[in-house]
Amino acid sequence: MATKRRTTILVVLGLAAAILVAIWKPTVLIYGVQQAGLYAAIAIPMGLVLGIVHIVNLAHGEFMMIAAYATYFACRATGMDPLIAVLPAAAVTAAFGWVVYKLTIRRALKAPELNQLILTFGLGIMFSQLVNLFFTSQTRKISLDYVSASVTIGETSFGVWQFVFVAVAAAMAYGLKLFLTRTTLGKAALAVGQNPKGAAIVGIDVDRTYGIVFAIAAALVGGMGALFLTRSAIFPAVGSPFTMKSFSLVAMAGIGNIPGILGSAILLGIAESLLRAFRATRGWADIVFFVLIIAVILGRTLKWRKS
Amino acid sequence: MKKGFAILAIALLVIGTLAMTGCEKKPVGTIKIGGIWPLGDITGRQGSMAAQLAIEEINAAGGVMVDGGKKLLELVVVDDELKADKAAAAVEKLVTVDGVEVLVGGMASGAELGKIPAFKKYGLPVVSTGAASYTVENALGGDASWYFHLHPWDYNQGASYAEGWAAIQEKFPDIKIEKLFLAYEEGAFGKASWDATKVLFGGGGYVIDGAPFKSAALGGGDYASVLEAAKKFGPDLFLWAGYDADALPMLEQAKAMKFNPGVYLGAPPGWPADFGKSKLAENVMLYGMWAPSMNDTNVASKKFYDGFVAKFKEEPATYFAPLSYSAIYIVAEAISAAKTTEKAALISALAATSYDSPLGETISFSKSNVIPYQGIRRQKILQWQNGRQEVIWPFEAATESPVHPFPAW
Repeated sequence: MATKRRTTILVVLGLAAAILVAIWKPTVLIYGVQQAGLYAAIAIPMGLVLGIVHIVNLAHGEFMMIAAYATYFACRATGMDPLIAVLPAAAVTAAFGWVVYKLTIRRALKAPELNQLILTFGLGIMFSQLVNLFFTSQTRKISLDYVSASVTIGETSFGVWQFVFVAVAAAMAYGLKLFLTRTTLGKAALAVGQNPKGAAIVGIDVDRTYGIVFAIAAALVGGMGALFLTRSAIFPAVGSPFTMKSFSLVAMAGIGNIPGILGSAILLGIAESLLRAFRATRGWADIVFFVLIIAVILGRTLKWRKS
Repeated sequence: MKKGFAILAIALLVIGTLAMTGCEKKPVGTIKIGGIWPLGDITGRQGSMAAQLAIEEINAAGGVMVDGGKKLLELVVVDDELKADKAAAAVEKLVTVDGVEVLVGGMASGAELGKIPAFKKYGLPVVSTGAASYTVENALGGDASWYFHLHPWDYNQGASYAEGWAAIQEKFPDIKIEKLFLAYEEGAFGKASWDATKVLFGGGGYVIDGAPFKSAALGGGDYASVLEAAKKFGPDLFLWAGYDADALPMLEQAKAMKFNPGVYLGAPPGWPADFGKSKLAENVMLYGMWAPSMNDTNVASKKFYDGFVAKFKEEPATYFAPLSYSAIYIVAEAISAAKTTEKAALISALAATSYDSPLGETISFSKSNVIPYQGIRRQKILQWQNGRQEVIWPFEAATESPVHPFPAW
């Protein structure tokens, strides 16, 4: 009851702050929410593997990068729009994720978590170096008219395409919540995440569950790779900064709290946008990103110790 | 009688063959040239390819004359991975293991700084294709008589931009630049560009403002705040100093925000693949040293371009390719002029270089602010027109007139 009341107060306070920012400088809120949508849509798949089945995947951003490259070359060859490629990219990355899981990650699951960390870190480097070897470091981008779609209110014009990431992140968060609470596989994933031995005793195929959840996360981040191509240029190292940001957002939201990733991303996106609006604080966005994360994690740890 | 004719015929044949062999004088032995580039980067990868092309062309023409005989050239390439420590190790390896007699290459200033102690230790002739930062020149010192720097220093580039814009405004009176805004990436490259812009344009009657952004190459890619600041300032010339990953996304965001500066100019080290095919690229200006459009007006450029495309089945994407190609020809011509690879003689021959380059100018060396041998001093102002980079300034190398203003969205 107390937790629910506290959450309600936080939401109300957040909304009030957002309204104040919107009145004072609407673009801060607009750009902040747009950036938050991108961060969240990339981080939520990591939230699934890290938070639910506790696999630390430091090659997360590289899965997105590979999907973006596959989309780029498919679009160049066929003239297809990256938006049409979202589902095929998701399917291909899911299959790729399944193979990577079977060949490598499953062998490190019973070892200490540091092994997974080093393994996936190595996989990430290998993926980006292979792409560099085959396609060079030259950046690639598909120029699309609709990404420059804009709305003008008074004297302010702003792009609206990036709101698509907000919608995708919200759909992912809601879809995964339904998946985890309403489907047998989702419930099995929760059980495997909490107690793999117990789950095996009650008849859940633990290895299969791990593999499917990893493939679903790969599919989601793969679909995001195709969508990411509409907004950004791609190059072999494009994914790695998003691995770090995703990891931080998952930690900030609390392991296992998928909707919380969306909330954390909005907080960070608006904080970044707010700082960039002032000349004196334009370079502080990255610092504040990590300061906020440290503050939230420390606060949560202190609260846990008290309780 | 028949036997006598046969002997005479054989004798004539042997004499003829010997005479012809003597005339040909096949090249004997090789001269090793060490090349250091960042091979994971398009600039270095294509730079090394272009250097190899030059080596093959020179060897196909018979090599170089040394000590009364012909020798072939051999290029030994090492990747510096854009890192100072790797670059330093590359010099050591090339000199001590491979036994090279001349060094060429270079791109990033940071990597070049790493090479300098080894350069000084061995004192071999170096023809450098990169390193724009004045800190490299300061580290080399005034007595680096073995260092031949082809790429303009940062202050050379800045001065040439100021000169170019003044000349363009004079020739095309409808182009008026009074207010200038620089969007610069947060790293060392962007900040150095901002400092240089303030110095170069600050005193020239221009009103200047600027703001940093986090480049997509370094995990950023959101340009809304910097474009909003620029739009509020209302510049006649909007210049961004970032990386190729920023080029199209920044344009897309500028269009979404209806940001219409008179001149929209980018200064990345390279451009993304197929940038020219984007509708947004039309009339974007850029700084550079070479563009394929120069093939229409420059014979050396066309020879280089055709050779590169024929050999590698791809277009040279940045000016580092013709620059590296030029470096090899400069070395080859100096060896032929000196007729030896002995250090002092080769350095004297390099100092007397006069090479008609594919970059649209004859390269010769003269003293810069610090070092004795500086090659190119001017960058060019170019513009994307109909998918091609056209040279706008210097006027003697121009392939098109500037289109102004930048299209309203």
